[in-house]
Amino acid sequence: MNAAERRVVVTGAGVICALGDAPSAVYRRLCAGEGAIAPVEAFAVDGLRCREAAAVAGFEPRRYLGQGNLRPLDRTAQLVAAAAQLALDASGWTRERRHEHELGLALGTMFGSVHTISAFDRRALTAGPIYAKPMDFANTVINAAAGQTAIWHGLTGVNSTLSGGTTSGLLALAYAADLIRSGRASALLAGGGDELCFESFYGFYRTGRMAGSRNGAAPCAVPFDARRNGFVLGEGAALLMLEEERAARRRGAPILAEIRGHGSGYDPSRGRDGESGRDALVRAVDAALADAGLAPHAIDAVSASANGSVAGDRCEAAGLAAVFGRPLPPVAAVKSMLGECLGASGALQTLTLIEALDGGVLPGIRGLEHADAALASNGTPDGTPDATPGDLARSRPLAIDAGLVSAVGLDGNVGALVVSRAGEGDG
Amino acid sequence: MDARVVVTGIGVVTPIGSGRQAFWRHLLAGRCGVAPVESFDTSGYKVHVGCEVKDFDPAPYVERLEAERLGRASQLAIAAARLALADAERAAEDLEPARCGVAMGTTSGEPREVERFDDCYVAERLEQVDDRFMSLYPCHVIAGHVAAELGFAGPNLVIPAACAAGNYAIANALDVLRAGRAELMLAGGADCFSRITYTGFARLGAIAPERCQPFDKNRRGMIPGEGAAVLVLEPLARALARGAPVYAEVRGYGLSCDAHHMTAAHPDGAARAMARALEESGAGADEVAYVSAHGTGTPTNDRLETRALERIFGDRARRLPTSSIKSMIGHTMGAASAIEGAVCALAVHDDHVPPTIHFERPDPECEVDCVPNEARAMKVPVAMNNAYAFGGNNASVIFRKVPEARP
Repeated sequence: MNAAERRVVVTGAGVICALGDAPSAVYRRLCAGEGAIAPVEAFAVDGLRCREAAAVAGFEPRRYLGQGNLRPLDRTAQLVAAAAQLALDASGWTRERRHEHELGLALGTMFGSVHTISAFDRRALTAGPIYAKPMDFANTVINAAAGQTAIWHGLTGVNSTLSGGTTSGLLALAYAADLIRSGRASALLAGGGDELCFESFYGFYRTGRMAGSRNGAAPCAVPFDARRNGFVLGEGAALLMLEEERAARRRGAPILAEIRGHGSGYDPSRGRDGESGRDALVRAVDAALADAGLAPHAIDAVSASANGSVAGDRCEAAGLAAVFGRPLPPVAAVKSMLGECLGASGALQTLTLIEALDGGVLPGIRGLEHADAALASNGTPDGTPDATPGDLARSRPLAIDAGLVSAVGLDGNVGALVVSRAGEGDG
Repeated sequence: MDARVVVTGIGVVTPIGSGRQAFWRHLLAGRCGVAPVESFDTSGYKVHVGCEVKDFDPAPYVERLEAERLGRASQLAIAAARLALADAERAAEDLEPARCGVAMGTTSGEPREVERFDDCYVAERLEQVDDRFMSLYPCHVIAGHVAAELGFAGPNLVIPAACAAGNYAIANALDVLRAGRAELMLAGGADCFSRITYTGFARLGAIAPERCQPFDKNRRGMIPGEGAAVLVLEPLARALARGAPVYAEVRGYGLSCDAHHMTAAHPDGAARAMARALEESGAGADEVAYVSAHGTGTPTNDRLETRALERIFGDRARRLPTSSIKSMIGHTMGAASAIEGAVCALAVHDDHVPPTIHFERPDPECEVDCVPNEARAMKVPVAMNNAYAFGGNNASVIFRKVPEARP
């Protein structure tokens, strides 16, 4: 099968995140520089130096999933199933149509639900193993959210759960795109989801990777800012409906964008060696551009994974600078607004770029005041001579034909994905 | 997308032996790995046996990283990866690290890390949680640790598809190689013995009290286990050019989802995965000489699995050798179908198929030739590896003999 013969298009999207539950509304709020980071209410954070997150406040699964029995679905599964419903609606995959045509799901997740897993174990520890709950056990597998979503929506095609830490969502989109290109599938939901819970919050707090967790300084989770000292956790789910282009056109589906190519790899130093990390990202971006048949100058914008991590953001800026030289294409980094949404992040970054294709505005980097001097020596996120931190912080009008999503994980995973307007730039 | 991909190295760590040769010898001899559980206290449970890898020492395998800073699943995975690479005779030596990738399956990732967290939590001693908890625990670190240990910088992915995860990882590696995204992939699965897993299966009433008897009329359940397997996969052309040993070709795969029930399988999904794997492989059902069954030994699984086999193989399902090595090594979770993939490759290569041990009474609802109790010498031109998981995730992989390669 010639990969070029089967093109992959996006025909709809569903999102549940701290900034809303509709792609267009989330995008508008990102462009307006609205943050969603707020004091944590879902669990106690007394005595911790970090007390904020970007939670999906007041999530009501029934609003999306109707009156069925939601008890078997934990929060992660409910977020994913809700995003799936929205994506199916947006792309016109009615229940009747789903009955006639097999749909798949490729879900990126970092944890599934570490809360469900831990709570199951803790109940067995405190009440005795014979009081552990069988229904909860079914959800302790990391693929539970994908399995539950398949059951809820009747998705009988390929059902895969992909884990690469905070790059999981991007890797899931890449995985799904290859299934379509190789003829193994013609339509899949792909993206990612993770919940906010005490177990991951406290765990990340203890690693010192969360903004303000380590040195007692005020938390600063602003991507690429010199003051940054870690990330703020978020949560959510984002799924794109990916389809083979001709099949999508035949059924008259809305076509929002094309997934042009991707690349991924690993930094064997796991982020400890800046050069090794930069080189890994460069290879992934080069591979994605080659896969897309595009040269670096064809990329009009980048949707970066930067989350305020000291080493991670530096690695990403250095990698992008090495690929694109100066000036860099304009860079968006949404995590000072949406938080680090773990498995959902790559899909949220991709969705931001897809919305910007049509919206004509690239969201600014909320809160950026002092672009890191170390970054500047490698090329600032936007190396145009007149770009100041203030410019980077502001949303700006931008005509985008093709854009790059980049992802640098916490533990060595790297990935890149190229999206473009559908049916253009045959390269 | 038609590059042929072959298995050139096999590394396994199992309850009945580690390393290809010892494992295969013990498997064909029908050795049983069931023993009293030592990882944790089972006095509060109604069952007390498991298939642990006793006396596992990661030290000989973990060279670049520090073994004591890795979870047990990562240690098992690294051991299997090192054994596989050694078996493949310098497969990675002349390759750029960026052309070498890792795809691993798992059910639970590093469950012992979250179990330690839970111990602190219920003791109200959260301050004793390891600062590295979030660096040790998330499941994706298994493939990461293998790559970091070996210096591999290519595609890196964990597919946590529960009890079918090994097959998902092998399938992904096949696609990565065919698409030219890497020239060598390590693919497999790893899971360590876990209190959480044991508790869950015990509560489902799925654990047998003494032994695992797939397809037997009196079968009483599965036995949780642990282990890891890694296959070295590379394009056939490259393997031939370097004169590498070739065990088998990974010819194709099929995936499907039941979308029916989280823990109960459905024959439709299993049959669709098998049909798809056969179709891609260009092999007729009549060419399949051996099936490595999912064969957990629970009353329901083996019955439904037999129904699915009948849909694909018809009357021949009764005569088609279909064994479950879970009778010997227990259910090693995400590692299971990776170890069984190694078994399929070895069966194809070595003209033997392993038995289903502890078989005593045929079950009229499970009329398969389960190769009862004794290994069998036979030609295996094509083998099928079946795996089914929580979440309704089904995966079948086809292995085929490569006559033109060095045996």
